[in-house]
Amino acid sequence: MAHPILAGGPGEKHLLLGNEAIVRGALEAGINVVTCYPGTPSSEVPDTFHRLKDGSYYFEYSVNEKVAMEVAAGAALGGAMTLVTMKHVGVNVAADPLLTMTYTGLPGGLVLLSADDPGCHSSQNEQDNRYYARLAGMPCFEPASAQEAKDMTREALHLARRTEQPVMLRTTTRVNHLRGPVAFDVRPEPAAIVDFKRDPRRFVPVPAVARVRHGELLKSLEAIREVAENSPWNVVRGEGKVGIIASGIARSYLTDVLAEQGWADKVSVLELGMSWPLPVKLIGDFLKSVDKVIVIEELEPLLEKEIRAMVHEMGLSLPVHGKCDYLTVQGEYDTTAIQMALAEHLDAQPVSPVCNEGDLGLPVRPPNLCAGCSHRAVYYSVRQLFGDDAYYSSDIGCYTLGILPPLKAADFLFCMGSSVSSGCGFSRSSGKDVVAFIGDSTFFHSGMTGLVNAVFNKHNVLLVVLDNGTTAMTGHQLNPGVDAKVLGDACVHLDIESIVRGCGVTEVAKVKPFNLKATMKTFEEMKGKTGVRVIIAEEPCILYARRTLKLNRPQAAYVAEQGAETDRVLNEYACPAFYRDETGVQVDESLCTGCMVCMQISKNFKARKRSA
Amino acid sequence: MERIRIYMTGVGGQGTLTATTLLARTALDQGLDVVSGEIHGMAQRGGVVESTVLLGGWKSPKISHGEADIVLGFEPLETLRGLPYLAKGGSVISNTEPLPPVGVSCGRDTYPAMEHITERVKGCSAKCWFLPCRTLGLEAGSVQAGNIVLLGALCASGLLPFGPEALESAIRKYLKPSLVEMNLKAVELGVAKLAG
Repeated sequence: MAHPILAGGPGEKHLLLGNEAIVRGALEAGINVVTCYPGTPSSEVPDTFHRLKDGSYYFEYSVNEKVAMEVAAGAALGGAMTLVTMKHVGVNVAADPLLTMTYTGLPGGLVLLSADDPGCHSSQNEQDNRYYARLAGMPCFEPASAQEAKDMTREALHLARRTEQPVMLRTTTRVNHLRGPVAFDVRPEPAAIVDFKRDPRRFVPVPAVARVRHGELLKSLEAIREVAENSPWNVVRGEGKVGIIASGIARSYLTDVLAEQGWADKVSVLELGMSWPLPVKLIGDFLKSVDKVIVIEELEPLLEKEIRAMVHEMGLSLPVHGKCDYLTVQGEYDTTAIQMALAEHLDAQPVSPVCNEGDLGLPVRPPNLCAGCSHRAVYYSVRQLFGDDAYYSSDIGCYTLGILPPLKAADFLFCMGSSVSSGCGFSRSSGKDVVAFIGDSTFFHSGMTGLVNAVFNKHNVLLVVLDNGTTAMTGHQLNPGVDAKVLGDACVHLDIESIVRGCGVTEVAKVKPFNLKATMKTFEEMKGKTGVRVIIAEEPCILYARRTLKLNRPQAAYVAEQGAETDRVLNEYACPAFYRDETGVQVDESLCTGCMVCMQISKNFKARKRSA
Repeated sequence: MERIRIYMTGVGGQGTLTATTLLARTALDQGLDVVSGEIHGMAQRGGVVESTVLLGGWKSPKISHGEADIVLGFEPLETLRGLPYLAKGGSVISNTEPLPPVGVSCGRDTYPAMEHITERVKGCSAKCWFLPCRTLGLEAGSVQAGNIVLLGALCASGLLPFGPEALESAIRKYLKPSLVEMNLKAVELGVAKLAG
């Protein structure tokens, strides 16, 4: 039976993840092409498209966000209704093509999903990509429920096709990862492909063209402002004299606070679901109808500043409130923060609902490299050989978890691909030895360019490619290094060693991390050399090996003898399958994957057949 | 109906998100307004997994400290950690069988005594129940079924506007046919434990 996201008919209601609702919305618009680079919290959008492929659209995991954006832009030029998805920091990678494609416009229609992460649940920063809507000149939709995620995606794609302007669908983690009922509409046939009309005076932005096109963009945005003025997601509720303007998921928190506190009749609320271009007439009329206004938006005070400017331009004198002690620039909002912030404006006492203090000092559960993860074996080898003498340049992926003691294999990190290039700069200026770590997908994403630069400029770095054969952290998406059998007919496997050699690296070695002795020997040899050296550590991600490659090892480790040496393995290797009980160190057979690294470290660990 | 906020907490790999989605679907099939949320960036790798189910017309998928009418703890240490979310007069249903964090396994940290956890829960909840979910799950057929034992107990507690039969029909409708019988057994065990 076909999945309801594909086959569900009008009137049906299904519980969908926000990200699944985005997929359904795109299908209801007649999507033709989807490109992406995966990244939490966006990943379930491309993964759902990949899983449900039914021939009605083209889908690809691109190798990075810039490439995804360029493929998508080309597809939309070629006439396809196109969606490109990424996490917020991915838009930085894709910003170059983005800021010019809004000048040329794209006849097929293109929507960019930017999945922001206030609170840094799984990101290295909490940048506010509504800035990009303003910087690039993109209309912006900000859903707050699963239903809106579906409906706004469809509307954004329609708007993009109608106006030929790229449109941003901006979500936050809470929206991507909420579940709610979604009422379906008709899923039409895929959109017609718009015939490309050759027009270099529009599509080749040499300076003379770019100057003209910038003007065209500004004209388009003015026209789209009318859409925002009349959007069903930009609505006023209530008649109170205290005005509240809210956007994004904060709209949901606000609705719950007003209902719970019984404040609904004291306030007027303007919700901005389509938040760019600003509906200035709508906002202006609202400002004139209230005595004061409070702006509720997560992260940067963008609307707040824009509304202050409007108040000034309109010659009004009402106070504008926004960021305060409760509603800060950092992190996520919640109902409590909004209730406390509103209380003082509504002559109420701010009340914290907190009634239980938590226990302090409870044992924490930091996310950890899995039992049987080959990265642990690599980090252990490196730490044994280099200790604190080398500096560890890390990158983005599961292997960043090597930051934790006892492995301590991460000293600095900026972004995808920075391990190689920042490692080079660090080594050049400090004269210290640098060991850089990068995963396979991240290597293809943006490690390759840094490696070319390292060779070209004669840098001194030892790069370890932690090749686990998949994009592990974000959920095992395809990348060019994935096994050819798994890729199937649609994609071509690329060999990392050939690429490394092709980049001009001559000191290249391959290791199998679970062969500890050989791995250590290779590291030792490379340690004695200088220049650009690459070690490729090959071993499939253990979760991936079990699920996709169906590999299972029949034996598990056990502790045959206790003692100081056994304790040392526990403390220095720290596999999550180890635990301590009254009798000493033990191995949890249900967690042990049979990698057998512990027994290479100490003879006190031995292998045996699993008990039933 | 009365609006209900349920805060659920457990450990990555336990399958708590599957349980969360099943509960949300059960509620939707009962004609209730439902929104549910989850935070699981690094869930697979042994971290804490928090999720929510909000019934009866809430719009927000997030629960703040002091707002949860029910705390559903899939692991006892996480129940204890999640207590600040409990509202005044709220209820707790918790598993009693620990999954020790890595610091405890290595002997660096100490897992709180179960008596301490139950005392703390009793001290701040109107009603509370404790079940050995892992054992009951294994009795039903697998460790993962322990989550459904807990959901069965929740549905039998009288805290929700629907009972275990609603959960049973959702299990039949949404789970793989090969898993249905085991999970129905798990519901039965959870319900029986609560009654007994």
